[in-house]
Amino acid sequence: MSCGNPHETPCTEVLSLTYLYIDGEIDEVHFLEVKTHLTQCPPCRDTYSAEILLKAMVKRSCEGAAITKDRRARIVAELRQFSITYLE
Amino acid sequence: MLLLPSPTEGSRTPIGFAPVDENEFDESSAAGAGARVERFERDSLPFMDQLYGAALRMTRNPTDAEDLVQETYVKAFAAFDSFTEGTNMKAWLFRILTNTYINIYRKKQRQPFQTGTDELTDGEIHEAESHTSRGLRSAEVEALDHLVDVEIVEALAAVPDDFRLPVYLADVEGFTYKEIADMMETPVGTVMSRLHRGRRILRDQLTEYAIDRGLISAAPTGGRA
Repeated sequence: MSCGNPHETPCTEVLSLTYLYIDGEIDEVHFLEVKTHLTQCPPCRDTYSAEILLKAMVKRSCEGAAITKDRRARIVAELRQFSITYLE
Repeated sequence: MLLLPSPTEGSRTPIGFAPVDENEFDESSAAGAGARVERFERDSLPFMDQLYGAALRMTRNPTDAEDLVQETYVKAFAAFDSFTEGTNMKAWLFRILTNTYINIYRKKQRQPFQTGTDELTDGEIHEAESHTSRGLRSAEVEALDHLVDVEIVEALAAVPDDFRLPVYLADVEGFTYKEIADMMETPVGTVMSRLHRGRRILRDQLTEYAIDRGLISAAPTGGRA
């Protein structure tokens, strides 16, 4: 369903490219087509905004995890031990 | 003793190559081994927290996540010779992490890693191409954005492995589809369909939380064209 206005690239095509676009996987030709379409079509623009926001929410919620200092030290110690064993 | 001039003398070092410290490459010597572990530590340790973050979303348990990171580092160090310096260390480490996780998971569950089908249903394809069906609206996501991070993490944890991993690797770590395909040893098309389904499951899960919290109405919101 379109916003009622004719577009050079149909809404269906633009919406099928949503993930390629927001994930930075789209080629330059399609990128420009989508960009132009989004300036003209509020419903598609809304869908794109929603997907971008959802992606950002996932990133934000998962950031900042840190391994414990104790485990970090154990890993480094194991690597050094492993390095010695590796020689024998 | 007759000393014959060696015809190869002076030509052993190829032109254009600077003299090298042989210890750096001779890893059968103690100094070489030291240099090897030093180089590995310098290049790989800065990614430990990022690997842990991914491991935490994979295993959904801090201790398992730490074990997974530790195993990843040991494997990476053992395979360090196969790493080409100057290429993407982060992607290489994440590949080992993902592989290790998938193998452990397989062993523990005694069942294939894959669940369900990777094919998109007609409904999903239709949804992706239409404003009319239960597509995502920004107002709705803005309501979801009021959920706290813990709830989003919980919702993500409810997404099955096959679909959760690509979402995490793409959204949090920003890996390309190709890199994710290499990590999960699947074709790029499979990554794309899993990403699609994973995001859909996640959204449905988040919507449920939001309804429970009264952030959005449970009433059907259809009919938006």
